[in-house]
Amino acid sequence: MTAPLTLAPAWRVVGHAVVALLCLSVLVPMLVVFGTAFKPPNEVYQLQPWPSAPTLDNFAALLGEKRFGLYLWNSVATVTIRVVAQVVIALLAAYAFARWDFPFREPLFVLVLAGMMVPPQLTMIPLYMLMADLDWFDTWAALIIPHLAMPYATFLLRQHLMAIPKELYESARIDGAGSWRALWDIVVPNLGPALAAVCIVLSIDGWNEYFWPMLMSTEPSSRTVQIGLREFVEEDFGNYGVLMAGVTLASLPILGLFFAFQRHIVETFVSSGVKG
Amino acid sequence: MGASRPEALVLSPSTEEGRRARRFPPWTAPALYLAPMVVLLALFTYWPLIHTVWLSVVKWSLVPGRPSVFVGADNFAAVVASPLFEAAAWNTALYLVASIPLKVILPIPIAVFLWSLGPRGHVYRTVLFLPTLISFVVVSVVVLWLLNPMGGHVPTLLRMVGIAMGNPLTDAHAAIWVVIGLSAWKVMGFHVLIYLAGLASIPRDNIEAMRIDGASDWQVLRDLIWPLLAPTTLFVLISTIIFTLQQTFTPIDILTEGGPQNGTTNLFYLVYQLAMRSFDVGQGAAGTVMLFAGLLVLIWAKFRLLDRRVEYDR
Repeated sequence: MTAPLTLAPAWRVVGHAVVALLCLSVLVPMLVVFGTAFKPPNEVYQLQPWPSAPTLDNFAALLGEKRFGLYLWNSVATVTIRVVAQVVIALLAAYAFARWDFPFREPLFVLVLAGMMVPPQLTMIPLYMLMADLDWFDTWAALIIPHLAMPYATFLLRQHLMAIPKELYESARIDGAGSWRALWDIVVPNLGPALAAVCIVLSIDGWNEYFWPMLMSTEPSSRTVQIGLREFVEEDFGNYGVLMAGVTLASLPILGLFFAFQRHIVETFVSSGVKG
Repeated sequence: MGASRPEALVLSPSTEEGRRARRFPPWTAPALYLAPMVVLLALFTYWPLIHTVWLSVVKWSLVPGRPSVFVGADNFAAVVASPLFEAAAWNTALYLVASIPLKVILPIPIAVFLWSLGPRGHVYRTVLFLPTLISFVVVSVVVLWLLNPMGGHVPTLLRMVGIAMGNPLTDAHAAIWVVIGLSAWKVMGFHVLIYLAGLASIPRDNIEAMRIDGASDWQVLRDLIWPLLAPTTLFVLISTIIFTLQQTFTPIDILTEGGPQNGTTNLFYLVYQLAMRSFDVGQGAAGTVMLFAGLLVLIWAKFRLLDRRVEYDR
């Protein structure tokens, strides 16, 4: 595949310079953060990003006195449960829209999609009051349940479902399979990449969430990684080495996930953002 | 739009579903599949939405048992009269106006450049995309640290070349630019990706044809690429307007909490403070409704303009 457009050499140089600079603005801070996380306390303020004698002390302090292990656990558990539930619920809804024709299907679809456009600001006050009434502060339920409906995922999955040929459903029916069996035995295996991409996007959103977990957390034991990091800043900002270790731990899981599934994510962001 | 859609099930009585179907209407199955999503949306999206609107026009009673009193526009008036409102409104305008060149325009030449590189541009693309994966919390914490006058890398490096730099985060006028810059940096890669997708759908033949006619780079860009990118640009523009206020919440909360002297607060942050800090539910709801009304206008504008633009190009 050749490039679609060739620019004049002068523009190419400028282009490389600008983009390289931007890339440096991404990579250098990352390097500094990562390097500082492994630095002993006396080296933290030095300019050179990498430690002369790497140490894991910062991570030990993080997981020990800073209880970051608990925050990590909260994040991992709530995000995992939440993403699985979100995907299943969205998939079932997408299946309904794609496979059947029923009264009010179009208006219902619009209603579901419109749910996507309601900004969180508009629902936060009553939801907060609801959480208070249910006494769900500091619970996993508060972090998981209000966010289970993800119309965007339904929209995306429906696109892919509609691309599945009728013949597949037909053959399932002939074999005597009900819609449930057809869904799991035939449809889902064909949805692999789309499902993976949706999972990853939802995971990123869940893991990096700040606003709602901040509202819901009143005591340390219920904090997620992001809230834990924020509280760290309030409590002990000067402790840079350990802070950077915290930043590292808060970012690594998603970065790792990304590099493992790189292609799917890029395709999803790209195909969903514009074509829709 | 239903060309490739499977028809409604015709169930034969020999299948179990067929037997069940004779007792239930045909929409039972889809209704069941749809139920969780619809119920959840009703409970956690639509009901709170209606409740917020109701809260904005009543004086909500904290005493259980005593009904809330309808007060019409009082809450709205109180929000506008709030000393924070003016600062928040001005800042909101600045956030939006400054975000547009940085987040909507700037990614375009970058995307075009990467597109011109073909597969060799993938490395750049991936690196630029990385900020999308890390949280605003992480970015804010790192910025806080890098800019710290005591030991932060930026002041240290600048001091080495003789520039003494105060902490922009404590300057009432400069602080907002830190937030703006931070949020532009974070979404750059994502927007570049969206533009790349838009560029990918530009037919090469048209470019070839223009080249054969002797068109220069600039002409191809201006006459072919820019118009064809218009729907994408509009999409990014409206998304930026809608999401900038929300996205800047985290940096504001972590870096400055709206200060210094209301230098970084915006309408969304103001609403948050009214509702969650002062616990003035009525004002918080009113502020939210006003914000939402503004967003609705923008969303409506998006669809109107987008439809019209797309028609021109087809």
